[in-house]
Amino acid sequence: MHTQRIEYDDAIVRRFIWASITFGVVGMLVGVLVACQLVWPQLNLGIPYTVFSRLRPLHTNAVIFAFVGNMIFAGVYYSIQRLFKARLASGFLSNLHFWGWQAIIAAAAITLPLGITQGKEYAELEWPIDLAVVIIWVVFALNFFWTMAKRNEKQIYVAVWFYIATIVTIAVLYITNNLALPVALTKSYSIYAGVQDALVQWWYGHNAVAFFLTTPVLGIMYYYLPKAAERPVYSYRLSVVHFWALIFIYIWAGPHHLLYTSLPDWAQSLGMLFSLMLWAPSWGGMLNGLLTLRGAWHKLREDPVLKFLVAGVTFYGMATFEGPLLSIKTVNGLAHYTDWIIGHVHSGALGWNGLMAAGMFYWLVPRLYGTKLHSVKGADLHFWLATIGIVLYMVSMWIAGVTQGLMLRALSPDGSLLYTNFVTTLAKLEIPYIVRAMGGAMYLLGFFLMCWNLLKTALSGKAVTTTVEVVVAPKASAPAGEGLVGIILGRPFVFSGLILVFVVAIGFVTSAMVAMALMGAILLLGIFAWVVNTRDKKAGRKSWFGIIEGNALAFTTMTLLAILIGGVAELLPTLLIHQKLPQGEGKYQTPYTALELQGRDIYVREGCYLCHSQQIRPFLAETLRYGEHSKLEEFVYDHPFQWGSRRTGPDLHREGGKQASSWHYKHMLDPREISAGSNMPAYPWLKTNQINVKLAEKKLRAMQKLGVPYTNAQIDYAELDQQTQAEAVLKGILLEIVAGLQEAKDLESLDLEALKALAKTVSEDSWNWDSELVALIAYLQKIGRSEGVKFDAPSARVAATPADASGGGL
Amino acid sequence: MSEKNRVHHVYDGIEEEDNRLPNWWLAILFGTIVFAFGYWFVYETTQTLPSPLDEYEGERNALAAQQAKQAADSPLSNESIKSLVNDPATVEAGKKVFAGVCVSCHSAQGQGGIGPNLTDKYWLHGAEPMDIINAVENGFPDKGMEAWGARLGPEKVKQVAVFVESIRNTNVPGKAPQGEIIAAE
Repeated sequence: MHTQRIEYDDAIVRRFIWASITFGVVGMLVGVLVACQLVWPQLNLGIPYTVFSRLRPLHTNAVIFAFVGNMIFAGVYYSIQRLFKARLASGFLSNLHFWGWQAIIAAAAITLPLGITQGKEYAELEWPIDLAVVIIWVVFALNFFWTMAKRNEKQIYVAVWFYIATIVTIAVLYITNNLALPVALTKSYSIYAGVQDALVQWWYGHNAVAFFLTTPVLGIMYYYLPKAAERPVYSYRLSVVHFWALIFIYIWAGPHHLLYTSLPDWAQSLGMLFSLMLWAPSWGGMLNGLLTLRGAWHKLREDPVLKFLVAGVTFYGMATFEGPLLSIKTVNGLAHYTDWIIGHVHSGALGWNGLMAAGMFYWLVPRLYGTKLHSVKGADLHFWLATIGIVLYMVSMWIAGVTQGLMLRALSPDGSLLYTNFVTTLAKLEIPYIVRAMGGAMYLLGFFLMCWNLLKTALSGKAVTTTVEVVVAPKASAPAGEGLVGIILGRPFVFSGLILVFVVAIGFVTSAMVAMALMGAILLLGIFAWVVNTRDKKAGRKSWFGIIEGNALAFTTMTLLAILIGGVAELLPTLLIHQKLPQGEGKYQTPYTALELQGRDIYVREGCYLCHSQQIRPFLAETLRYGEHSKLEEFVYDHPFQWGSRRTGPDLHREGGKQASSWHYKHMLDPREISAGSNMPAYPWLKTNQINVKLAEKKLRAMQKLGVPYTNAQIDYAELDQQTQAEAVLKGILLEIVAGLQEAKDLESLDLEALKALAKTVSEDSWNWDSELVALIAYLQKIGRSEGVKFDAPSARVAATPADASGGGL
Repeated sequence: MSEKNRVHHVYDGIEEEDNRLPNWWLAILFGTIVFAFGYWFVYETTQTLPSPLDEYEGERNALAAQQAKQAADSPLSNESIKSLVNDPATVEAGKKVFAGVCVSCHSAQGQGGIGPNLTDKYWLHGAEPMDIINAVENGFPDKGMEAWGARLGPEKVKQVAVFVESIRNTNVPGKAPQGEIIAAE
């Protein structure tokens, strides 16, 4: 046994910290700006690059990937060197990781305001940037696992388990969700469509929260909290149970973002039930964090680091209770599409991620610069600003969400909508929105205080390098029974595998007797496993978990298995349905024309999906307001899906054919002229921008490759088709605008040029068929007009056909 | 509880104890698992309880029946609407509905904008009160008139039709005439 002198690479940690803080400021500044834009839509100053729907993705991506991302890398790189007793394997990889990640962030900051987006939440970045993300993630993984291979500490600590789960799962999620067919350098189409795209996206979206915002930060908690508290971690066995339960269950919970949508009911139920089962595993992490402070609670008074960490863990506990609550179908029916969800994610992002980051920075920076924190009072003030800011944010969003949810579903006794006009609900949101913006601004103010404090701290010291003597681990061969066979035949593996087989079988059986027999078998297996485990423990047999915790490859493989099961079980059946009804039923979606597709791409580019859903749930209040509820076979050609997740404006799935095209024309240019009280930004640039007519052929060809049944003739004549349809749409708009002019009697017989000349007498506008606005209107008039879905409003009085008196829609 | 405070392992100075899992925590863990099996059994395996879609169909049919009964009990006619024009409460209620949803196209006094002027003697889709009911309820989607029947419900449709009837021939200057001249009665 000999010792070795190693010098930790802390320069890379410092770099990631400063990057995280910088992008934290940027991300939160944009956050406050978009929060204000919801109250004062003019705040984009009429510039396309600062419009709400383009800035919101910038805000979310900056906070998630730039602020929290860099914070995670700092926390991971500092802690693994100490936990592995080894220097980071490669300085080159560390630097490539750092600069590569910052380059990705810069690319995102440029492309998102330009409207270059895939149109899927938190997965907006276009394919070239996605490729870069994957490469840099692999660089991170290589550096991490290489360092792990060189470790001088055989057993792997719980913090590292969470890091491993993060690295493995994010790779799987990111690649699967971003598979897309490029059309140009800045444009691609998701290979999935409609309900499949929705499920893959929310499997990703939910687990980005799980494996990017939660698991790595839990790992960070397991290192920095006991360090700061100087107390032992409460329970090893709790960490085993909650780690495996958390990563196994989390991956199933994605469909809770799609409750009551066109997603098949079985998948929705799985999403809800697994979310409920997440409650205990999540709280396991909170418990292990909070109970680590037993006997050290008094330290909270003096130490700002502990204040932040403990408050962060507490907000984690709150958010992970609220999450399962919101996943209950009936609760979700009220809360989905409202600000309650926005409040929920911010209690996680501001409360858990933000406070954990601050706690970690306040602990790390003095140590990395060999000094002490510049101002404890400053940190205390930051803490209170942040906490009060979060509370203002959460409470205002609860009020806003519940108010709007209740108003939108309220019915009069005669079965009509109590609040017919959507904008009446917006009026009630104004004060909560102002309070929210204030809460966010307070949080940001506290963050600025931290920047100043840490900068002062760093300047008062100087960058230090830590050198330690470590005992080099002997490279002994694995003891008998610890090899592959021992791991595969290990009792926890065999038992959980068997139980899983029975559980999956229950998913498929429809007989009550068989299901009960299977449940009985699961119970018996569980009891048997418990008995065997207790006996093994008494006999002093080495725990299976202890074995894999000493074997990096085995541990990583088990983690991969645990997260793949849920993904495969939910995604595979959904990817296999062809989303088609039995022949003859109709109700299919018809493919978009070239012009409609161009319009749809503009809809995606402007980020309309961030405020408008295209998914009507089967609730009376929704079908009365919007029309027949959405069916899964109506989205088969939607690459990507645009169901949305928040209704700041009304649902648009039955918008096609509902309004006059001239209504849309005027509304897009000045929403408040048509709809007083609306907070939608104006999109005047759409009128002057021209569509790229030539690109349509390429777009249709890409869609054809993805399975949309375009004929070659349609593709060849795409250019001409666009003009023909656009001129017809424009003629329709002009007819509506000049309708009623005294001197124009036989308007229908006029050609486009004559109509334009006539329109000049009422409006100064210029009228071009290739304007983006015309293409967008063509798309809006097409949405939801699937064959077989009725659009004529049923009427009890005139038509007197009771069967469809209320449900037929508009 | 004999194992309390036993240190399991030490990593970089971080001690790890191996305390028992709290009973209330285990209760949540197993409670939610048992609930999940029970829920799946009832809603998915045996489908004993109605699915969200079934529940919706039920509510929808109930509302349809209620509205059909209401329509049968108090049928509307050209005459009944015309006579309601003399009832200030109905006209006032109709005015409120009009101000909420109709103004964006027909303007505050009904003088027209995107949609036609409702105060002149020209009518596009028939000029009888029941034609107005039909226009509000079913709309003319291909002409840009939205169907409001489902959203407003029968009572508000009636009120707004009465209001429109009340502003007939008030000739507010606005959008130029469209449609057929219907002589003032």
